[in-house]
Amino acid sequence: MKNTIQTMVVRRDVSAPMKADASKERHRQGRRGTLVVNLLSSPGAGKTTLLEATAQYMRGKQQMAVLVGDLETDRDAQRLSSLAPTVQLTTGGACHLDGSLVQRGLSALSDPQVDFLFIENVGNLVCPASHDLGEHLRVVLISTTEGDDKPGKYPKAFRTSQALVVTKTDLLPHVPFSVNAITEDALRIQPDLTVLEASFLRGEGVQSWCEYLNKQRTQLLAEYA
Amino acid sequence: MHERSIMKDILMQVDQLRENTNDIVTEIRVEVGPLAGVEPMLLVTAFEQLAGEVMSQAKFIVEEVPLTARCENCDFGFEVANYDFRCRVCGGNVIVTSGDELLITSVTLNDVAPVES
Repeated sequence: MKNTIQTMVVRRDVSAPMKADASKERHRQGRRGTLVVNLLSSPGAGKTTLLEATAQYMRGKQQMAVLVGDLETDRDAQRLSSLAPTVQLTTGGACHLDGSLVQRGLSALSDPQVDFLFIENVGNLVCPASHDLGEHLRVVLISTTEGDDKPGKYPKAFRTSQALVVTKTDLLPHVPFSVNAITEDALRIQPDLTVLEASFLRGEGVQSWCEYLNKQRTQLLAEYA
Repeated sequence: MHERSIMKDILMQVDQLRENTNDIVTEIRVEVGPLAGVEPMLLVTAFEQLAGEVMSQAKFIVEEVPLTARCENCDFGFEVANYDFRCRVCGGNVIVTSGDELLITSVTLNDVAPVES
């Protein structure tokens, strides 16, 4: 006679398969010498402008490619495609990029072998924080018009990032934003965060940003050599 | 917003544990913490909407666990308050030890007696 009850203790992370895929991709890109950078921010903080400035700075020196994610349109890709190999990923309705979309983007780029692969995530500080895209470096952007109290409101985005770029610093005279305040708030959540400031539109802070990227590339890819 | 697709994932993983038997799932327990990126109540609602026939008899239990961490420098373990991840003792950075994952902790199956013809 059956009808037995059995409790199986599983203790399985629901997102383990996603994390495994991301790890594989991270390893694959690392071995090829490509640093994968995932850019997170609210809409309009300046991710695309950062990438325009980065591409201009790297021209002739280093190779980069871009995957840019949005719900709709290819507006960002249009801005970037003359500056670097770029593919637009449209999610349709999904509020974040995921690994499968990234893979599709890499195919569309014919799996480029570059120094830097930038993934411009969908403008959103919530959901992208929970999705590993196989990046080596996660960077969060906050612009001076967004307020310096944001880190505490989006703890996962800041906890899981390695750098915070404060953008639109040219507007500091006009807004009640304190770089010290946001730095303090952010470092509480992620003490290892590097904080950078820039006005990419004005070309300020671009060199520091690119030097940071290169330092990270050397450091983070060393383990894959 | 993602709780539906996460629940679909959970139900798929739970279904795999049935291993093609006619076992009925009577309980699914999950563990979630503050940094998991999942809202427990929305997960429960998603379960109610998606359980379907196979899982309709199952209890879905969400256990909320605290966010805890251990210092990388001095090994001090503590519960993180207000998302302050600096070690209470030495100020060093920490490793999260619980609360940043959604885990399927256990699944209870009831194997049904075969129908006698």
